[in-house]
Amino acid sequence: MSGRGPWVPVAASADLAPGHVYQTMLAGQGLALWRGDDGAVNVWEDRCPHRGVRFSAGDVVGGELRCVYHAWRFAAGSGACTFIPAQPNAKVPRAIHATPWPVAEVAGLVWTALAAQGAPPADLAGEVLRALPVNRPAAAVAQEAAALMAAHPALRLFVQPLAADRAVIRGLAAGVDIMAADLLLEAARRRLEDAALMEAAAC
Amino acid sequence: MLILHTSDLLAEAYAARLLASLAGVALEIRHLDIHPGRDHETDAFRVLSPLGRLPVLEGAGAPLADWQAVLCAIATRGDTPARADAPGWWRGADPAFIGWLGMARDLAASAGVARLHEGLGVPADGAALRAAAHALLREVERHLWFAERAGQRWLLAGEGPCAADIACYVHIALCEEGGIARMDYPAIRRWVDRIRHLPGYIVTSGTFAPPAPAPVRQPVRA
Repeated sequence: MSGRGPWVPVAASADLAPGHVYQTMLAGQGLALWRGDDGAVNVWEDRCPHRGVRFSAGDVVGGELRCVYHAWRFAAGSGACTFIPAQPNAKVPRAIHATPWPVAEVAGLVWTALAAQGAPPADLAGEVLRALPVNRPAAAVAQEAAALMAAHPALRLFVQPLAADRAVIRGLAAGVDIMAADLLLEAARRRLEDAALMEAAAC
Repeated sequence: MLILHTSDLLAEAYAARLLASLAGVALEIRHLDIHPGRDHETDAFRVLSPLGRLPVLEGAGAPLADWQAVLCAIATRGDTPARADAPGWWRGADPAFIGWLGMARDLAASAGVARLHEGLGVPADGAALRAAAHALLREVERHLWFAERAGQRWLLAGEGPCAADIACYVHIALCEEGGIARMDYPAIRRWVDRIRHLPGYIVTSGTFAPPAPAPVRQPVRA
């Protein structure tokens, strides 16, 4: 369900607008994603090493990530801190850096991995669907996604676990109207979330 | 001269100041202390605003004490003849525009009150308000995602933002102060950034100015 091996899609390529830092989470770890001037995607732990502020609250400036809090700057790729405005003439210690995660951009989706083993997924095609966060655990969402794929072979769905009780349905649709597919996913989300309400009410 | 009675604590007041700045409309600002002071509950203020609400706009006919009426007055003043070809800040003849102003009121009543509850101790059922806000944000997200796909950058089709974008923006930009996270709404997050980058954008406590372009840095000598 999550693709070949440990790779999980966590964003659409189209999510990474110029200058913007995209925010997501994988298995409880906050992640910040942004595209550098070279076109490559950076997936970083969403935490500035200075005061722990989310990188995703910042901006991309001059091909670097600028933290919103004190405007520290971090280089694409390595994540090395390149500039501390409060000490503009000092050389930045090499120990100060962002924490990059593995990244692969395939089929219009951006993938990362908790522990990169094996190649990122290949042989995927189709139009990228709107990602739907669901307030249910990944296992329940995966079960519903499997049922959807069985009923609609044009859909290829993946599940991104956000945290213990939440997950995102992502996917590709080959030759299916995107709006129709979106309605299917919305209905699936309602089924999943209403089921949780009914379970809670029955207790 | 337009006079705006305002409080820096209120999202609706920020909407009026932000729209005025974006639309190039000059305002004379009169600050009220609503917390811990209670300037908005004095008899004198009730003459202007019988429900004790803020912001209030004077100088455009009778005083206006509904925040969206205030936005209308500011927006129509900003839609000068020089901008006649642009879609304009006020699009009152478009049913979608009225719908999005309605959404802004719904966001005020949910995310907005959740923020006042957390920040000012206004009594409220925080969990219910947050759930209501998330249901609305899911719809805003769906709308903006499909809009982006059609090449549209704002709530309504057209070249630029309108007053409905600003009315919705203030509650969405400040919603984290009410315990509502925006991580689930990437299209909304991109739209929030686009508004931040508009010429004339001003901040309030809880929002951040966009960065200036990258400075030219002196190389550090070894």
